[in-house]
Amino acid sequence: MRVYSTPRRAIVALAVAGLMGGGLVACGGDDSGDSGDNNKDAAADLAPLIVGTTDKVTTIDPAGSYDLPSWTLQYNIFQNLLAIPAGGNTPTPDAAESCDFENPTTYTCTLKDGLKFSDGSPMTSEDVKFSIDRVIAIADPNGPSSLFGSVASVEAPDEKTVTFMLKAGDATLPFVLTSGAGAIVSAAKYPADALQPDDQSLGSGLYKVDKFDKTQQVVLVPNENYSGDQELANSQTIVSYFQQESQLKTALESKEVMVAYRSLSPTDVADLEENGADKGVGIVTGQGTEINYLVLQNTKGAFADKAVRQAAAQLIDREAIAENVYNGSVDPLYSMVPEGLTGHVEAFQERYGEPDVAKATAILEEAGVETPVASTLWYTPSRYGATSADMYAEIQRQLNDSGLFDLELESAEYEQYKEEYPAGTYPAWQLGWFPDFPDADNYLSPFYDSVNNFLQYGYKNAEVDELLAAQKASTDPAEREAAFTEIQTLVAEDAPIIPIWQGKQVAGVVEGVEGVEDTFDPSFTFRFWLVKGVES
Amino acid sequence: MAARSGSLRTYILTRLALVVPNVLVLLTMVFLLMRVAPGDPVSAALGGRLPPAEIARRREAAGFDRPLIVQYWEYISGVLRLDFGQTLTDNRKVTDIFIVNGGATLTLTVAALIVALGVGIPLGLWAGRRRDSVSDVGIRLFGILTYAAPVFFTGLLAQILFTSQLGWLPSGKQASAITQATLDERTHIFLLDATLAGDADAFIDGLKHLVMPAVVLGLLITGVFIRLIRVNLAQTMRDDYVEAATARGIPEGRVVLRHAFRNAMVPFVTVLGLQVALLFGGAILTEQTFSWPGVGSQLLRYLNNRDYAAVQGIITVFALVVVAISLLIDIVNALIDPRVRY
Repeated sequence: MRVYSTPRRAIVALAVAGLMGGGLVACGGDDSGDSGDNNKDAAADLAPLIVGTTDKVTTIDPAGSYDLPSWTLQYNIFQNLLAIPAGGNTPTPDAAESCDFENPTTYTCTLKDGLKFSDGSPMTSEDVKFSIDRVIAIADPNGPSSLFGSVASVEAPDEKTVTFMLKAGDATLPFVLTSGAGAIVSAAKYPADALQPDDQSLGSGLYKVDKFDKTQQVVLVPNENYSGDQELANSQTIVSYFQQESQLKTALESKEVMVAYRSLSPTDVADLEENGADKGVGIVTGQGTEINYLVLQNTKGAFADKAVRQAAAQLIDREAIAENVYNGSVDPLYSMVPEGLTGHVEAFQERYGEPDVAKATAILEEAGVETPVASTLWYTPSRYGATSADMYAEIQRQLNDSGLFDLELESAEYEQYKEEYPAGTYPAWQLGWFPDFPDADNYLSPFYDSVNNFLQYGYKNAEVDELLAAQKASTDPAEREAAFTEIQTLVAEDAPIIPIWQGKQVAGVVEGVEGVEDTFDPSFTFRFWLVKGVES
Repeated sequence: MAARSGSLRTYILTRLALVVPNVLVLLTMVFLLMRVAPGDPVSAALGGRLPPAEIARRREAAGFDRPLIVQYWEYISGVLRLDFGQTLTDNRKVTDIFIVNGGATLTLTVAALIVALGVGIPLGLWAGRRRDSVSDVGIRLFGILTYAAPVFFTGLLAQILFTSQLGWLPSGKQASAITQATLDERTHIFLLDATLAGDADAFIDGLKHLVMPAVVLGLLITGVFIRLIRVNLAQTMRDDYVEAATARGIPEGRVVLRHAFRNAMVPFVTVLGLQVALLFGGAILTEQTFSWPGVGSQLLRYLNNRDYAAVQGIITVFALVVVAISLLIDIVNALIDPRVRY
């Protein structure tokens, strides 16, 4: 896979166009080093942006966080070698001029000229090497070191070149480098073996940290040394943290925040859609790649029998869940790979069709399963929203009403839940997933690889394992896509996990705020710089 | 001993001496309660996210592998040195949590106490003077309702009414985002920082944000104050000296305020100390409801993360503050009522 810097191409194209037109076009180039000052000057004429959220940040040190709330801040403070452009789903150069697989186990990137951290110090390939090495070395329990599992070493042969030596072919590396794990920090300012305090963060992104209190608010101001190609649409961004969804909604209605992003409850979203206009508030939705799914214990209990899993997959009515429980704020999901990502196929829809009690009965009869099948469904109300209780009541109703199941419903707080499900305590349980990066592999390997899946639920399929390894080692997009299709078909047949819904990205916005829709894409990157604030 | 000597100084010294066993029992209870849960704090906070060897290393480094009595001694000696420990999940000193977030909790509880006194005392006096009248019944009902209604429920209703519907007050937090972003934090007490900065707009903004949480929390203990003042005033009003004062033709208002009320205050002041503990408890929920950046919201965060080292440290400080306030109240009581020390 090779990715080129679009800006460089654009600059060349503009220069050619200018010359052809008889004049030389002066364009803010990457090399000038002036764009940062422009960044600051331009921002001075803009309104600030206040984003409200119920997210909980771990830390913005790239070595210590592996969660969306922390990464959302990181995307705006740090540069990566590669980034997912707004509206896209493939990596393109950010701090890199170009990145290229020299061979399946050697990936080399060349840095752009004139890169600087927000303190004005230059960014070199040593900083990139240092950043990746320290993520791996610190191996923080909350950190993303596992994402670099395929990296044998990182080398910086000269100031502008970074080479990743891989243990085996890994086509997901470019995607990993776009994630929070690949954020570039200053080797001079960050400790190699410990986390950096958040208020001393130093990156080269569009913003720098002015004030940091992860329980109250984080103030991001323009980084005057930013040398990239993006432009700010606001003078500064304040991220305001709320404890409760209801309070976030109230704050939006009273214009204390301009954008409410993650998470308004489905009820609040429906209310704002219906009545928000009276208060000058609206709802913006966009494609999301968050998924929610039901995991079935594959080695013991009622769901160890493939026929029982298939019968459950045959009966669950995702449309009803999306409409009745979530008021249409989520979409039915028929594969673990969500729609919008390359390689997505509606595998469960193709295999099972519409919910059908007769078909489910036939599956169980053919396998000689005695009905009703008794078991317990588990969910957690403290991780995926309070609506989880309603969703699982609906799933229980759908399955029990068929007469084929006799399921109890149980719940646990997430802190207890997250320890119990890997221990094999639950026969069937709810989980959700945000992407680390927008690649189908990120929705398949962590779940279906018989050795390295994090669910520890006993699923094994040698054919799936082979396909997973093959697509990961391949840098041919067509080959990978074919493997993704085959894997999804195989796991739909085995039904070790039943995908339920795919979340939309939803934000409440006050009148006058623009640009939120531009940043809603499968990468789940909230680019603050694209959003225009309003004077409060 | 105090009763025999009759001296205020002896009473205060005796009361101070009693603080030592009082604190010791309290600290022992906190220490033991934190260890009732199975496992150890490191496993609880980081279990499942670190390899067993790393868990063991951290457990050893934090001293949780040592005998209970050794841990107990370290805990007590730490408290004596004003070292309340360090959080496990984000390596913050507990004292830092109080330095950064204590000001917000102090602001909230003091404001809530002012609301409670400002509402509770006049209503208690009114009800005490007009026993069994319609207004008395109404005030008593109000007192019961405010005491019984959970803070988070009252808070939510207040937010819907005063923010969403009427648009009079902000929904929560200590100040608006822009104000917080621009104000220089020196003392971590927002109103004081605004005053020091000479920023009148920030001060007014802070006051606006304080009103709703302070009223909601204050109303929680208003009911107790109303009931106390009412009952004590009614009893005092039946005393001979009040009748005598009335018989001498002193106006009713003056009799109530200058004679009856002063005596009715003695049990009230005693109970005031106990209410501080209730205020701290209420502050935790209030801070959560209004995203108020106090110690209570931090305590909840650490509880959710099962960071028992942080929880132990915070509860210890809270407990010591309550003991100190109780001591202060006892001394004040002895000052205003000589019967206490005889």
